[in-house]
Amino acid sequence: MLAIVEQAYRGALEKQFFDCFCLAAELHRQLGGLDMLLRGAAATYAVPAPEPVSLILGGRELATFSVPRTNLGTLLDAGAGVFVEREGLAEHGLTDVEPIDGITVVEGQELARRWPDYRTVCFL
Amino acid sequence: MRKSLPQTDLLLTLMGAPHADDTLTDTLRLVQALLDSGTRVSVWACGYATLLTQRALGECKPRNPASWDTEYPSTAAIIATMLAAHPEHLYWYGCRFCSDDRGADDHLAEVVMRPPARYAENVAAAGKTLVIGVM
Repeated sequence: MLAIVEQAYRGALEKQFFDCFCLAAELHRQLGGLDMLLRGAAATYAVPAPEPVSLILGGRELATFSVPRTNLGTLLDAGAGVFVEREGLAEHGLTDVEPIDGITVVEGQELARRWPDYRTVCFL
Repeated sequence: MRKSLPQTDLLLTLMGAPHADDTLTDTLRLVQALLDSGTRVSVWACGYATLLTQRALGECKPRNPASWDTEYPSTAAIIATMLAAHPEHLYWYGCRFCSDDRGADDHLAEVVMRPPARYAENVAAAGKTLVIGVM
């Protein structure tokens, strides 16, 4: 299946580990394979960045946020394909930044032309 | 005789639904920064934001199969911690209609549920009001 992710930064405090990557890993395991396409703001997940800093709320340190780049690495290690749209990178000034190892940069329509090759195409 | 509301410097009306974006994270970071500067803050949760303080959420989220021993605090636990740490400076209200409309009827004891018809009283009890998110 092809899972398209274009909305990023959703519910750091509410979701923590239970985010689109967690669901994608489970779909990859259960349904025999998954490719993920990062576009829009989610394209920023494809390039290296520091891990999120912890928060202190009410004197309590919170450091259990989702770490998208680590989760992408987990997906890649599991054999999933991860692609990122060049336009998404360009929109965020990341044209010259190398994506994380294993992530393939594609043109905007490239994956759309391959939709018939997938049994399922969905947004996550 | 109706008990008057405690005066605060700022009322944050939180309408943004959780899980959709980082509105809640931004709001709680803002609340903490305001508290750290000595500001008295009240929060009125509206719409799906009323779901954040349900007691049914417990202390922690369901376990993460990929990290079984890690505890992930629930939003109710996070908000309860903030309220306990700032008893005279932070107050949390919930819109009773929105909450009932979404089947959420059992909230933290520290959370005061209020009818929407009384919202203006909360506004009047605050120096300024800031509305965050949409219903």
